[in-house]
Amino acid sequence: MATEESDDHGGHHLPAVEDWPRGFGEASWWPFVTAIGGAGFYIGAALFLLGTGEQPLIGSMVGPAVFIASTVVFLVGLYGWLYHAFIVDFWGGEATEHGSPGLRMAMILFLGTEVATFGAGFIYYFFIRAGAWPPAGAELPHLVGSLVLINTALLVASSFTLHYAHVALLNDNRSRFIGLLVATLVLGTIFIGGQVYEYYEFIVGENFTITEGVFGSAFYGLTGLHGLHVTLGAVLIGIVLIRALFGQYSSERHTSVSTVSMYWHFVDVVWIFLVVVLYVGAEFTI
Amino acid sequence: MEISGALLPAIPAQGAGVGTSGQLALTVLMGVFLVAVFLALTRAEDWRTYTPLAGGGYGESGHHVRHKPEGITRWLTTVDHKDIGMLYGLYAIVAFVWGGLAVLLMRTELFTPSMDVLGAVAGGTNAGNALYNGLLTSHGITMLFLFGTPIIAAFSNYFVPLLIGADDMAFPRINAIAFWLLPPGALLIWAGFFVPGLAPAQTSWTMYTPLSAEQAGFGADLMILGLHLTGVSATMGAINFIATIFTERGKNVNWANLDIFSWTILTQSGLILFAFPLLGSALIMLLLDRNFGTAFFAVDGGSPILWQHLFWFFGHPEVYILVLPPMGIVSYVLPRFSGRKLFGFKFVVYSTLAIGVLSFGVWAHHMFSTGIDPRIRASFMAVSLAIAIPSAVKTFNWITTMWNGKLRLTAPMLFCIGFISNFIIGGVTGVFLAAIPIDLVLHDTYYVVGHFHYIVMGAIAFAVFAGLYYWYPIFTGRMYQRSLAKWHFWSTMIGTNLTFFAMLLLGYNEMPRRYSTYAFNADWAPLQTVELLHQAATLGAFILAFGQIIWLVNFVQSWYEGPEVDGDPWGLRDTSLYGREFEWHERRLQTAVTDGGEEDEVATDGGVDETAAEEAVADEQSDE
Ligand code: HEM
Ligand SMILES: [Cu+2]
Repeated sequence: MATEESDDHGGHHLPAVEDWPRGFGEASWWPFVTAIGGAGFYIGAALFLLGTGEQPLIGSMVGPAVFIASTVVFLVGLYGWLYHAFIVDFWGGEATEHGSPGLRMAMILFLGTEVATFGAGFIYYFFIRAGAWPPAGAELPHLVGSLVLINTALLVASSFTLHYAHVALLNDNRSRFIGLLVATLVLGTIFIGGQVYEYYEFIVGENFTITEGVFGSAFYGLTGLHGLHVTLGAVLIGIVLIRALFGQYSSERHTSVSTVSMYWHFVDVVWIFLVVVLYVGAEFTI
Repeated sequence: MEISGALLPAIPAQGAGVGTSGQLALTVLMGVFLVAVFLALTRAEDWRTYTPLAGGGYGESGHHVRHKPEGITRWLTTVDHKDIGMLYGLYAIVAFVWGGLAVLLMRTELFTPSMDVLGAVAGGTNAGNALYNGLLTSHGITMLFLFGTPIIAAFSNYFVPLLIGADDMAFPRINAIAFWLLPPGALLIWAGFFVPGLAPAQTSWTMYTPLSAEQAGFGADLMILGLHLTGVSATMGAINFIATIFTERGKNVNWANLDIFSWTILTQSGLILFAFPLLGSALIMLLLDRNFGTAFFAVDGGSPILWQHLFWFFGHPEVYILVLPPMGIVSYVLPRFSGRKLFGFKFVVYSTLAIGVLSFGVWAHHMFSTGIDPRIRASFMAVSLAIAIPSAVKTFNWITTMWNGKLRLTAPMLFCIGFISNFIIGGVTGVFLAAIPIDLVLHDTYYVVGHFHYIVMGAIAFAVFAGLYYWYPIFTGRMYQRSLAKWHFWSTMIGTNLTFFAMLLLGYNEMPRRYSTYAFNADWAPLQTVELLHQAATLGAFILAFGQIIWLVNFVQSWYEGPEVDGDPWGLRDTSLYGREFEWHERRLQTAVTDGGEEDEVATDGGVDETAAEEAVADEQSDE
């Protein structure tokens, strides 16, 4: 079925030919499932809040349970969606000339929104950094140490490995491509581990928590937001890796390799900016 | 299974006394039951009838191809931009009804100076005040985020792909996801009203700290979460529209002949791209302040002024996010009933882009009275006055388009003219407010309320109605009842001007906004005048409500019984003003006829003629 149908119908490109429910062309359950899962995160968070406070309205485990259930639904939806949109008919479908510019553009636009997302947090930090420093009443933790330097080096290195993985793919050097992808994923994972370790040191060791005052809010807000992004990036690289192991991608078909690597470089650049202003900038005053 | 099992705990959660495990079991059971019912429904109604076709493939059955299942499954699974547009429209109208009812309650309360009506409803003066504040908050948030943005998305989803000759949106599935995030968002935002035990948020739509950070009650938390969710949806939509307009244009559509509506959607999407994510982060920071002891907007932390900066850096672009596409609709529809092309098309486009850029540089005009640095204040005043120029350019272009034209006063045209008239009043009052000395006097009075309602109701809603009437034949294949439409127009026009002009005068009489009562000492201020003006505003609101009922009745009834139309309901075919969307509509009708009346979307969206293209495909295939 796939071959005749996957293409045109009277000059009309049908968006969902291979999908569930089968055989329609403009119908897919996946967006609905994915959206319910995505909204479930918010509902889970809401229920979690209802379970907190002096007089919780519901049990404290309801929220987390809904959150976890939503994650399952979301991932199932995401899998179905990506599978049917990009994978099922990879060699015939994924965007050589048709979808590729659109996908790349979408990633650039998404990174634009990320600038605004991070922007709000940085604006807050600059707002307080411009005031009395160090902020009254609070002691800053020891920020610039070997941990953060090593972590930075790891993340920068991972940008290089990913870039050269992409280059290897373009040169049709498959084993090198996969090897460098694995290296990137390992480096990213170690970075996340390093961040967790740093949180542990600060919270348990130095008693510096998110409620610590103005700098605590900035530090955990910004590093937390960035950490979430690295985690998402690692997941994306993981998906690319799995697809690569299944034999997908070639020097002609590499859209998601290039969009994921754009995202990863972006997150890397944010980290460098963050180290400069939040770690170094807080510790040293000119 | 997880789906509804996961969503349900919200309901049994009330009786926290009952054993938790029993409740959980019950919840899971209910969830399983609901999913079963749901599946049974979708199967029984739709899939059976269509299984034979599903296997058929496209080649053999020719035109008799259904691209969509039927019944409810069709709407839940659709990835067709036109269907999604209809869903957005339905959603927005539901929100419009709730926002309108909320404000009618408020206006009823304001008919008399003291707390009477809502006090009686809620039981006591304090409870009445709280209810008023809750309604005020919900009205504002609902109208802006759940009515305004989605109704625009309804038009853009339906028409941008048609107007630019695209097959569909660039990412049809993401388009569907973006829509389906909205209903849960609305549930969270409204939860404070319908879930017992959660007080509705009383923060007003601006959510100023420290009030919003310290106000007790989970209603505000849920509202913040819901707002974040709807913001994610709007951002996904914006990315999709920009990608669509850049990469999916048909062969004969280029930047020079791109239609004016798509231009405004493009600009609007650009604004959303930066405005909404920033609000999203600010909302999360507020949520953390409320629940996790952070200091982002605390008085001795980042400070409430920072919230105002972040909020209005989003908030001012947001008003243009809401008004640019309606301006696009007016620029698109007005010429078709003036018998002339849009005057100065290029300059309308340039002024759209100019407004888009400038709108990020004026946010502090909402903060003139907060004691920010006078030099900053003055520069924001300058930019705010400057943004009046591109707005005026558009206004003059619309007027010139009508000048010496052959005007046809159909319902869409009347709403376009009403738009211009109201937009002038809203715009001119805005220029006054942008002048610091005047703003210091009028800030936080009803003058402001009158000003922005001339825009949101008098202009945005009017353009929406113009669009709904103009394209009604495309949505339904039928024509609305013209005399009812005129009744709708005139009651909306009179109601709007009565309500909001009275508000401008109330502002001059120093009536502060956001108060549920105004039983002040008549020696201090002209109580009688204020009361009279409030009564006028309430009367206007009810006239408005009356008009909207006519509109709903007209639309619903005509959908079933209106006369069927051909491909050219407005008599434009022989002019240069026959739009691509009506060309498509006509093609759809023709295909439907040759198909023996099968009305299911058989016509394609693309710029190509269907039959010709099919032959071409057939040729190609036989070549192989
Ligand atoms: C149906 C006719 C409408 C009437 C009679 C009306 C009337 C009102 C009134 C009385 C208030 C609150 C006054 C106060 O106590 O401060 C208000 C607030 C508000 N309205 Fe409307 N409104 C209407 C339509 C709309 C529409 C269509 C929109 C948006 C697209 C809108 C957006 C808002 C917003 C955002 C606020 C909150 C403003 C603030 O407090 O900062 N309204 N309206
Ligand atoms: Cu403004």
